[in-house]
Amino acid sequence: MSDLQIETKKLTKHYPTGEGQLTALKEVDLTFREGEFAGIVGPSGSGKTTLLNIIGSLDTQSEGEVLVLGKEISKLTAKESAELRSKHIGFIFQTYNLLPVYTVYENVELPLLLLKISPEKRRKAVLDALEWLGITDKLKARPNQLSGGQGQRVSIARAMVKRPQIVLADEPTANLDTENSLRILETMCKINAELGTTFIFSTHDDKVVKFLRRVITLRDGKVAKDDIQAGL
Amino acid sequence: MTFRLAFKNILGNGWRSLINVAILAIVLTGMVWMQGIYDGWGRLARVQMQEWEFGQGHYVQADYDKYDSFTWDKSHAAIPPQAQRLIQAGKAVPVLYSAGVLYPQGRMTPVLIKGIPAGQTVLKIPSAELKETEATAGFLPAVIGGQMAKSARLKEGDIVTMRWKDVHGVYNAADLMIAKVMRTPVPTIDAGQVWIDFDRLNRAKALSSFATLLVLKDKPEQTNLGPGWNYVGTEEAMAGTDAMINAKRAGGYVLFTLLLFLSMIAIFDTQILAIFKRRKEIGTLIALGLTKRQIIRLFTLEGILYMLMGTVCTAVAGFPLFLYFALKGYPIPQQMTGYNIAGMSETIRCYYSPRMLLTTFLIVLAVTAFASWLPTSRIARLKATDALLGKV
Repeated sequence: MSDLQIETKKLTKHYPTGEGQLTALKEVDLTFREGEFAGIVGPSGSGKTTLLNIIGSLDTQSEGEVLVLGKEISKLTAKESAELRSKHIGFIFQTYNLLPVYTVYENVELPLLLLKISPEKRRKAVLDALEWLGITDKLKARPNQLSGGQGQRVSIARAMVKRPQIVLADEPTANLDTENSLRILETMCKINAELGTTFIFSTHDDKVVKFLRRVITLRDGKVAKDDIQAGL
Repeated sequence: MTFRLAFKNILGNGWRSLINVAILAIVLTGMVWMQGIYDGWGRLARVQMQEWEFGQGHYVQADYDKYDSFTWDKSHAAIPPQAQRLIQAGKAVPVLYSAGVLYPQGRMTPVLIKGIPAGQTVLKIPSAELKETEATAGFLPAVIGGQMAKSARLKEGDIVTMRWKDVHGVYNAADLMIAKVMRTPVPTIDAGQVWIDFDRLNRAKALSSFATLLVLKDKPEQTNLGPGWNYVGTEEAMAGTDAMINAKRAGGYVLFTLLLFLSMIAIFDTQILAIFKRRKEIGTLIALGLTKRQIIRLFTLEGILYMLMGTVCTAVAGFPLFLYFALKGYPIPQQMTGYNIAGMSETIRCYYSPRMLLTTFLIVLAVTAFASWLPTSRIARLKATDALLGKV
């Protein structure tokens, strides 16, 4: 837990509105080290998703600095930014965002196709990931044939298959019942412990908070609290 | 990878993909068929005009102007010695022109009298019928075309008076007997024309071995026949017919441009819908590490794949149709023979040249690529975070 992976310095994000601008994040200073299992909590509109999007290089800050794996996000070209995401960052979404025309296998295989991994290595990695998530029996199923829990597990398998250094999970349990939420969280804890992958959640689900080792509370775009060892 | 993704997406699009492919296949089939008809017509017209009128090129007396009937009586010259050798070897045929007037059933019809040797084999004109026989004894045997026969109300065996003026300005007249009404596919040797024997016309004009035209059986090695004679190659001779066919082809293009436009709207519409329906997918692909440019390429490729699938369908489903029209042909309605264009009086067999097929394919490919790309360029303006939320 010594290697610095993410650092934000006076991170500020404004969004233009009809009457002026809305400040979603205000001078946020945070650091995340390798292997963290951290969560960003706060009410709706507090800036959780915005912060994750900027860390994931899906968006850029208006002011301040954001370093992810040593790279300043706002200075990356579109290609460099895409490369950072494809190689080093996995995303888990609230609505799973599985591609509907692909099977479970193809959905999980997609990140490896982008990385131009050989077919044999790809197959092994996909089967390993699906086995980890306990969904090998759904290989040929399409997303619309899966339950919510199964869909989210496929989404995690897709995020993990390339063994990223950072996984960003935006409200991963929001659409799941308690039992499925717990199973998903246990799986992510296991991956974090065994592979050392950094997990950063955005959530306001108490079930998730209980699993977190660090809880960052955002309020009105500012860090209100940063509790280490708050959860388990 | 992009190809694989695009292919998967097309299969996943189900009926919409099938409709797009079907529309493109119909348009392609129509375009190829139409082009095949025009190319087949062009080829047929060329062959027929070479067989019946132009040969493999011809020399024309310098004063002759086919659009000025006043030149017809004076546009002739003695056949040069080297042309005589070609005629004797059966490699050329002389034709002498003269203006004249025909009096069928007491009416008066201006005609172009053409003299051609009865024994010639260079052109398909049934000149053997111009030889004097027992049946035609006492009359001047003549051959006319079907259109001329119809307009002058003449038939084989009819006797009709014809008047002409010789080189001294003296009017002469003779009674012709229609020895043959020929069925020719080339209207330009038919309407308003009377064919008689070359020597008889020379004598009637008070000339000897004079010609207006020297039609060649083979392409000449050198085209200079000396002063007073101009060489006209097959391309030059066909220029008018080619221009006419190309004008008709352009008219046909309007219909298929419209069809192509409709099919492009279908693809354009599919792409617009796809961007709207698949905005979350676009956001996800960006999150997974695709650049916007790669996603635009993916969507454009999907459009192009529709076209490639349409081409395969055209090749498979259209093949029997193309084969039928190449072998059996397209019968030209009787009324169209009045168009006065060669090739319009027989069944036209479609001809599909590799060049035509490739050009059609490339045009449709380029238009499809553009129609696919145009709506996807919106993706470049799409924010990944909005796309993930399902906003456009």
